[in-house]
Amino acid sequence: MLPENLTAVVARNEIWTGESATEPYEAGWAREAVIFVRALKEPKGALPMARIEISADGMHWCREGSEFALPAQKDGVTFQRLGHFGNFVRVAASLPSGTEIVVLVTLHLKA
Amino acid sequence: MNAADFRLDDMRRAIREADPQLSRFDPLPRIICLDDFDRGMCGWTQLVGNYEDTLDAMLPGYAQHSHAMLSTLPNWDFGSHGGVDGSYALKIATRPKKGAQNVAIKRLTFRKPGPIRIEAYFTFKPEATELALSETDIRSFGFLYDLQVTDQHGAGGNRVMPHLRFLNALDGQHVQKWQFKRKTTPIKPIGTSGKTITHYHLAESDWEDLPGGEQRLCYNEIPTKVNWHYFRFDFDLATMQATGFQVNDRVFDMGGFEPIRIPAMKNLWCMLNLAFFAETDTDKRAFAYLDSVCLSGDF
Repeated sequence: MLPENLTAVVARNEIWTGESATEPYEAGWAREAVIFVRALKEPKGALPMARIEISADGMHWCREGSEFALPAQKDGVTFQRLGHFGNFVRVAASLPSGTEIVVLVTLHLKA
Repeated sequence: MNAADFRLDDMRRAIREADPQLSRFDPLPRIICLDDFDRGMCGWTQLVGNYEDTLDAMLPGYAQHSHAMLSTLPNWDFGSHGGVDGSYALKIATRPKKGAQNVAIKRLTFRKPGPIRIEAYFTFKPEATELALSETDIRSFGFLYDLQVTDQHGAGGNRVMPHLRFLNALDGQHVQKWQFKRKTTPIKPIGTSGKTITHYHLAESDWEDLPGGEQRLCYNEIPTKVNWHYFRFDFDLATMQATGFQVNDRVFDMGGFEPIRIPAMKNLWCMLNLAFFAETDTDKRAFAYLDSVCLSGDF
């Protein structure tokens, strides 16, 4: 059997303002991930970098160290490659007051 | 049953009982799918709501849904729990908001309108954010079929949606009973093409108690330990009636059960969708887990 390969939509049409993150996603079976973020509407303001966070339990989070730009215009797409992330993973961003992005976030996971 | 059928049935049963993967199920003659989540997602996916032109048209009940996960049931205090006979289970997680729901769905069609049986090993638990038993934090675990008659049915055919949920708790009360529903929300057109409609069949309204449906499930003693439960629901696609329901040792009378019935829709003929769902009763994530699912039919 081919190794598991999953596209998981973890945030769809979600408005990110302030402290924002995707829901915790368990992917301990996956050896690698690519995470795409697409802006579904025109973003507002100068957006910060997004970051990858990992967790032992889905409740307490650490910065994994990877950071990547959020898309600067509608239908813009950015991505981050990720390996060696344990089990729980999420995308987070701290948006300053007055900034906003409506996101589609997908995890592409491979065993 | 004639002698040849009897021998075939006996042989089939002997072969299945010798197979550890099948021995804990009691399927009808033809296995449509045997989904063990140690093998991956097995065709279970996210229930996305209908939309046209913009995702903003999606009803909020569907907009909250997200993708199920392959989980080892990891816990902060003792690590991975694992499944019935392997490392992984399918995890359906709600958001941490009272009343939040999530659904995992598998979409098939049927070959013959006759008896079908769904069996599963399931469990549920809230996210262990507190050092407390948390037995009333999960609102429910449930199952639904989304079915429609064949295109050869003629006038009067229906889309039929049998729903069952174990109402564990409501507003902090530890209710512990099985419920069904025969009503969905009003049908709402979406967009401008006239091709798309929506309704929210998992709305909190219109759940009814299954007569005799009270059941106390093994929950265990702290917020992280789980025990697996056996679920079996029999339905006849010919009559579109429930014919049996069992959870662990309890067999329930389905004489009082009714599914949601709405007029057939123009793109859903022979639909055989199966879905499991979870609801939280507090601002805490609800986790429902499926170790394995077996769908079988008599054809």
